[in-house]
Amino acid sequence: MSVMSNKIEKMRILDLEAKEIRRREANWEFIEKQPPRLKAALKYYVETGDLYVASRIAGMTIEEFNILRIKANIPNVV
Amino acid sequence: MSDFAIADTCFLIDWSLWKKRDIIFQIFKTIFVPEAILNEVKSEGVISWIAEALAQGKLSLFTETSEILEEARSLIERSRMTPGIRGVDLPEAICLVVGKRRGYMVLTENRGALMIVNLFEEFSNVKVWRALEVIAEAIRRGILQTPHIENIFMEYEVETKHRFPRVDLDNVIRKLREEAREVA
Repeated sequence: MSVMSNKIEKMRILDLEAKEIRRREANWEFIEKQPPRLKAALKYYVETGDLYVASRIAGMTIEEFNILRIKANIPNVV
Repeated sequence: MSDFAIADTCFLIDWSLWKKRDIIFQIFKTIFVPEAILNEVKSEGVISWIAEALAQGKLSLFTETSEILEEARSLIERSRMTPGIRGVDLPEAICLVVGKRRGYMVLTENRGALMIVNLFEEFSNVKVWRALEVIAEAIRRGILQTPHIENIFMEYEVETKHRFPRVDLDNVIRKLREEAREVA
């Protein structure tokens, strides 16, 4: 395996671990109760951890979405 | 280490929730922030913190040139074409390009940005810090003092609902303790 492939693999594992933590700790009851756009954005955030794109999906500013993320108990794992 | 840093909006909004947020201004002379941040902040506490820091010159608005935008867009495309890596978006791509061109420290919590500096040769000299490294530097310099280093990181995690990867956090704490022992 090349050095680059090794690095990518290590980062992929870190990514998966971060996703698992977000999935495990998220308040799914809260997420499911949200209007469709916010629900989709929160689920996108759980899957990717990307605050910027998630806020665009939600139609919110990054700060507003960050507050929603905290209410949904989703940790920012970085 | 550069006296200057450029922070992406996601980093700053996360960081701004911490009650010890001002310590970052003892590490960097000026932190440049993209103009877009002003549209991304609504709460009184955070917007007044940013406005005060701008007034004091601790933060400075960064306006990207067309060359920087062009290079940032190329980086986005390249990140999306490389299998296995997390693509970057414009905010963090701009920070990475500025970090490369100006030698500024890049402050971001974006995993894609961390991948870029690890994998793309021309960005390998760009220094990227997350909150984890900023807090570690504050401890190293004695800006934050405590006998229990781990409590500071825990406090940040609780106040911002941030989670440091355990392996990275353990490594940082171990290194800080080793450095403290060497000094003693």
